[in-house]
Amino acid sequence: MSNLINIEIDGITMAVVPGSRLIDVADEQGVTIPRFCYHSKLSLAASCRMCLVEIERAPKPMPACSTTVTEGMKVYTRSPKVIASQRSVMEFLLINHPLDCPVCDQGGECELQEIAVGYGRDGSAYGEVKRQVVNPDLGALIATDMNRCIHCTRCVRFGDEIAGMMELGAPGRGEHMHISTFIQGSVESELSGNVIDLCPVGALTSKPYRYRARPWELQSATTISLHDSLGTRIVVDSRRGEMMRVVATEMNDPESECWISDRDRFSSLALSSEDRLVQPMIKVDGQWQSVDWDRALTFAAEGLQKVINNYGSDALAALAGLTQVNEEYYLLQKLLRSLGSNNLDHRLYQVDCNDDATAPLYNGFGQSPRDLERSDLFLVIGADLRREIPLLAQRLRSAARHGATVMSLNCGGTPERRVTHPAAALEINLSPQALVDELLAIAAALHPSTTAKTLTKQLAAVTVNERQQQIATALKNANHATLLLGAGAQSHSQLSLIRQLCHVIAAATGAVVSFATIGGNAAGAALAGVLPHRKAGGERLERSGLDWQQMLAAPLKGVVLLGLEPELDSVDAASLMRLLKASEFNLLLTPFASPAMYDYGDVLLPIATWFESAGSTMNGYGEWHQISPALPLYGAARPAWKILRVLGNLLNLSGFSQMSIEDCRRELQAASAVTPAAVRSGCDGEMSAAYDAPSAVLPAAGELQRIAALPLYQSDMLVRRSAVLQQGAIAAEAQQVAIAPSDAEALNLVVGRAVELSQGSVTAQLPWQLSRNLAAGTIYLPTGVAALAQFDHGNIAVRGV
Amino acid sequence: MRLLKSLALKELLVGMGLTGRYFFKRKFTVQYPEERAPISPRFRGLHAQRRYPNGEERCIACKLCEVVCPAMAITIESEQRADGSRRTTRYDIDLAKCIFCGFCEEACPVDAIVETRIYEYHAESRGELLMTKERLLAVGDKHEAQIAADREIEARYR
Amino acid sequence: MSLPVSGAESHLITAASCAEIDKWVAKYPPERKQSAVMAALRIVQEQNGGWLSDGLIAAVADYLGMPAVAVYEVATFYSMYQLEPVGRHKISVCTNISCLLRGSETVVAHLERRLGIKLGETTADGKITLKEVECLGACVNAPMLQVGKRYLEKLTPETLDALLDDLQGDQVNG
Repeated sequence: MSNLINIEIDGITMAVVPGSRLIDVADEQGVTIPRFCYHSKLSLAASCRMCLVEIERAPKPMPACSTTVTEGMKVYTRSPKVIASQRSVMEFLLINHPLDCPVCDQGGECELQEIAVGYGRDGSAYGEVKRQVVNPDLGALIATDMNRCIHCTRCVRFGDEIAGMMELGAPGRGEHMHISTFIQGSVESELSGNVIDLCPVGALTSKPYRYRARPWELQSATTISLHDSLGTRIVVDSRRGEMMRVVATEMNDPESECWISDRDRFSSLALSSEDRLVQPMIKVDGQWQSVDWDRALTFAAEGLQKVINNYGSDALAALAGLTQVNEEYYLLQKLLRSLGSNNLDHRLYQVDCNDDATAPLYNGFGQSPRDLERSDLFLVIGADLRREIPLLAQRLRSAARHGATVMSLNCGGTPERRVTHPAAALEINLSPQALVDELLAIAAALHPSTTAKTLTKQLAAVTVNERQQQIATALKNANHATLLLGAGAQSHSQLSLIRQLCHVIAAATGAVVSFATIGGNAAGAALAGVLPHRKAGGERLERSGLDWQQMLAAPLKGVVLLGLEPELDSVDAASLMRLLKASEFNLLLTPFASPAMYDYGDVLLPIATWFESAGSTMNGYGEWHQISPALPLYGAARPAWKILRVLGNLLNLSGFSQMSIEDCRRELQAASAVTPAAVRSGCDGEMSAAYDAPSAVLPAAGELQRIAALPLYQSDMLVRRSAVLQQGAIAAEAQQVAIAPSDAEALNLVVGRAVELSQGSVTAQLPWQLSRNLAAGTIYLPTGVAALAQFDHGNIAVRGV
Repeated sequence: MRLLKSLALKELLVGMGLTGRYFFKRKFTVQYPEERAPISPRFRGLHAQRRYPNGEERCIACKLCEVVCPAMAITIESEQRADGSRRTTRYDIDLAKCIFCGFCEEACPVDAIVETRIYEYHAESRGELLMTKERLLAVGDKHEAQIAADREIEARYR
Repeated sequence: MSLPVSGAESHLITAASCAEIDKWVAKYPPERKQSAVMAALRIVQEQNGGWLSDGLIAAVADYLGMPAVAVYEVATFYSMYQLEPVGRHKISVCTNISCLLRGSETVVAHLERRLGIKLGETTADGKITLKEVECLGACVNAPMLQVGKRYLEKLTPETLDALLDDLQGDQVNG
């Protein structure tokens, strides 16, 4: 602490860290300095001049944002000179700013408004006609009123520095300077919505929220976004119980960095979509009826009882979606296990469940995002981070800006993709088989000492090329390397082997294995025991039930689905649908009812989404968060835990007398054999047992291997139904397939024409595009899209039309 | 003495005298409804919503009246109209709650919500005391000349 | 088969221009390639007959590995870059303070009358574009104008007429 220096602000002496910015020091000490262009997470522009302060012995007022503190500095923030400059700057800023606050959505929460009142004058020497600027069309998310722009360039710097895509710029100069895109085009970054929060005036506002409410009418509630395993904190603003908008938390949360992705921001618009289930429904003799809760629950309980009576409890299974809270998962597994079935799963994006015996409890980061960002080397393995966890991609980009090296082993990706900015040091496209080979070679290059027998044999057979040797050396030399696995690894048919290889590499290099898993609360589902081989709390079972891949082949007669849209929410939806159609009784607890659900479902029970639920969630690094309802219950929907509890009672099971969600949580916590700390370290636990991996089925001539990526805006029920997210370029990616240039040439595909895909008896014609991010021999075929849901994860024959 | 006073009916005579004096003075009782008291242009009576001369409604749904209303008598819902302008889809004033303080009128940046000189209205059910946007605009349309004249007089004091 | 993969805009730059741009790129450290943006824009503008199309701006961005909008910012900032097609000869009249005091208004009026066009317009035959610019640093001999790479100073109606006669007869190469 001896290296602090003393400065004086407004007569108060304080010890501060040398080299810090004056404006930051003032903020910490509670001295208010008005500012527009300064933002602590962005680079300096020092262009608005609002933060001018007087510094002793400086001839002119200095901008506090770009002034570094020095020993003995004396600063005055409210001296006559400062007040005069603040008034003049404010007057200048208002020369061209329209006085349309009453119709402006920013009115009431506008930095310009507040600072004008606090630091401006009531009159102006300028009565000239104000400048008119054409509003660029930035797509369905951001509304523009560029007359209001004060040229702080926060949005431009955000695009360049944070989003990694400089889409907005400030062309023109002097009075003709304005904010716009190049030529015309909507903003396509997956983080673009943050400019709405960033804009200090009403120039960039939210389009869906436009003119719907005023800030003083809103009730804010903080909750956790469950679209990805980062668990970003969001603020849900509602008015009279109706969802109005979602914004980022204002506090500079070290975990979320005050940014949220567009998915987190705009998905909630789907809460009142037409598909929303508002009343319990049952199917009697093939006819759907809306009924009250008593009737529906009795019907559901009778249905489950009948399945058990007729076929035994092994014919019963439950599958869960990834956006429920821990307590609901806990009660679901308790219900099933009390009924005598261990057939439970939530890992519908994981094809290879063969290493259940040795794999960690859940796929997690193994380190906090802050630690992850401190890595100096990332080996990204089959992750299309921008399209999987946008904010994690932002963390990588930030690390890369600060000197970290990023190497990416792509395994299928969308056409326009850059994981990092500046670009990755190494980026290669690999087919699923090549990815495994590459990892084998990297592992072999490290000469691991202790490893399983079969793997040793495989490693000995590998020849290592120069590139693989380089990657291995880089991993070894790094201080803090991270192996970051994404959806391409998770849905890989040889996940077990990949996982094993990663742990071998990690053991030899000291790297951390981070699994950027699909789904918001997959970790919670695993902890709460929605797994065939583990009880609630993670304890292993002696006799495991069927995992979801085994279920596909089993004669199941009754299936309970919790918060899941099985026709889309799986890497192998086609097989799952066959299972459900063969089953006699399907009980669905779902917030939305899709047309397909009416086909295979027997009971539809409306449940609350996580916006309307209380409970706890666990993010990808094992941290519990408690959430409380941000919105009132929708229609007759009820929290799923209450429904499951009543079902337990109706089925005469013991242990379903919880009075509150806290009771459920306490039960789960008591059942947890592992402490939260152990849960966190459990992500990269021992991988001792040998695992003999199945080799992938290689594509025949005219066939391409499917890369079943989950598109960003098809990731769960809520996102799929958000109309504004379904417009624009990112959503369009989901409606077409992508093919590598070499394959396109080999198959004689014509750009702009459709391709015909076939797999067994299934065929479909779809538009296609070229992707430089695909390995030869593979095809990017999105999951989560109705048009493609009939394809399974096997190889696909492709023909030009 | 007391007896004498009461026998002479002095108090009665004094009282009658007062009555007599006023009997012949100028009358100031207003013969409502045939006669009406003069009303100030600042009178705060029934509410109205105004339009611009081109027929466009003035209200821009800024909701300042709603937030300033001490009785919380105003309820507004707004959206973007097809032409892109900010408009109300609902504008209700509950006259049963309103205390006629005139704050809504003062808060309005576009002189859309005004209180007129109208003070004689009635309702036979509580629902009729809810002034909807249509009813408010109808009042405004009917009395625009008077409303505009009153604002004109008051303009220099504002 | 030409495939419209993004970033294929570079083909708009001719090989000769590329070679010239590379000379400029070589003057800066490799990671500061974008420093050559102004030179690159000038080179492709000359290649394209004196103006920059959106495609060319994107091509320069692609060539230098910059965001297109950042190149667009540069192109719109400087008045020397033309974003619309121009005539074969570009007359840039200075109307800044020194020239204004020495009668640039008369110069502009004279040119406009002779050419029948306003400032910022091009003659119907596509020969001459008239443009208003800020100070070109020849205040000592104001009023002045620039035509092509040539400065004409101490302008009088006679010198202007002589210039226009020359240009319209295509005697002068700008």
